[in-house]
Amino acid sequence: MRHELRSRRSWLAILLYIASTVYITYLAFQHDLDPVTWNALFWILIIFISMFAASGSFAGREGEMLYIYTLVSPRKFIMARLLYNGIFMLLVSIAAYIGYSFFAGNPVGNIVLFMASMLLAVWGISSLLTMAFAISGKGGGGFTLMAVISFPLLVPLLITAQHVSSISMQAGGDNYVGSLAALFALDAIIAALCYLLFPYLWRD
Amino acid sequence: MKLLNASWWKVLCVIFLMYTVIAGFLVEVPHLPILHETIRNLYFHVCMWFSMMFIFTVSLVYSIKYLMKPEEDSDIIASEGVNTGIIFALLGLITGSLWAKYTWGAWWINDPKLNGAAITVLSYFAYVVLRSSIDDEQKKARISAVYNVFAYVMMLVFVMIYPRLSGVDSLHPGNGGNPGFNAYALDYHMRIVFYPAVIGWVLLSAWIASINIRLERIKRNNHN
Repeated sequence: MRHELRSRRSWLAILLYIASTVYITYLAFQHDLDPVTWNALFWILIIFISMFAASGSFAGREGEMLYIYTLVSPRKFIMARLLYNGIFMLLVSIAAYIGYSFFAGNPVGNIVLFMASMLLAVWGISSLLTMAFAISGKGGGGFTLMAVISFPLLVPLLITAQHVSSISMQAGGDNYVGSLAALFALDAIIAALCYLLFPYLWRD
Repeated sequence: MKLLNASWWKVLCVIFLMYTVIAGFLVEVPHLPILHETIRNLYFHVCMWFSMMFIFTVSLVYSIKYLMKPEEDSDIIASEGVNTGIIFALLGLITGSLWAKYTWGAWWINDPKLNGAAITVLSYFAYVVLRSSIDDEQKKARISAVYNVFAYVMMLVFVMIYPRLSGVDSLHPGNGGNPGFNAYALDYHMRIVFYPAVIGWVLLSAWIASINIRLERIKRNNHN
């Protein structure tokens, strides 16, 4: 199932994409960013990068899908997909974070907390986008349909993540356990929904 | 389905709603600072969200039913349920917005409950867009049922988790030390109007949905 690793081309494309988006935001803001703006901009970057990264997961693989269809069960397939997309997005977001703090500075005080929130949020985002792509792909709609479907559903994740990461920028991070637990719960719920619902998208 | 065609609950609905409108504007309410007479919005605004949740839940049940056993009728009920729920969601937004203008001084503020409402409306609009973009009837039914379950659960989780996050406070009545719906409901005069109002509006939502469902059945029959 890990046949995705072969496509190195997408890795290079995504790295280039990160570099250019980060650089554009750096050019747009000439002065130093205050933490609130930094935080907002960072999550917007993450959305766009993950949209770009996830768009490769179902697009243009009708033939390949037909082949996989004969090999594995849909539940196995979606779990492998979530795992792969999750790990891929984690690496990508770490790269984005490094690039972003290189250009725009790094106001994060509590790095461990920030990383934890980023990892949990990005994991959730990638599984949600995977599901949204599966739905919109079956619907025959392009990128627009995908955006319409996924944005409202992404908001809970983003708001929670932004909340935790803004705590991580203050010196004394207070009471973040509940928010991290909320993020984790969201991830678990999204994964469970994917697991339960994907088979219905699969057969055709 | 027998229940849907019976007329007693529609009569009940009309009686309750007439009572709500008349008593809602005339019966004595507690005089609270800032709120004053706008407290009467409780009979309309809150009921809209109750009705919306009721009708979306019905839609969710029929979506799950469709996924278990694909029958066209389940799809009709699920999709018309969403269409009806959207009407109530928009009415809820309008009544809330008007109320906010007179008490908070703004049509819209950045508040957890308001964000929850906005997300709900957006994700159900997405449902409508999704349906309209698929041509094949069965595919449309199946995919939109999957999305409906997904969106409902996410919406519910969001509405439950988000206001409980630390550091997030809400101006909305019932939160952040503001007197909420429980404090008002203690008032006898409000209670005798509010409970019938909820039942009346929920019945109205069921009525509108049942008309929509029957209309859609006729349309599809003619089509075939």
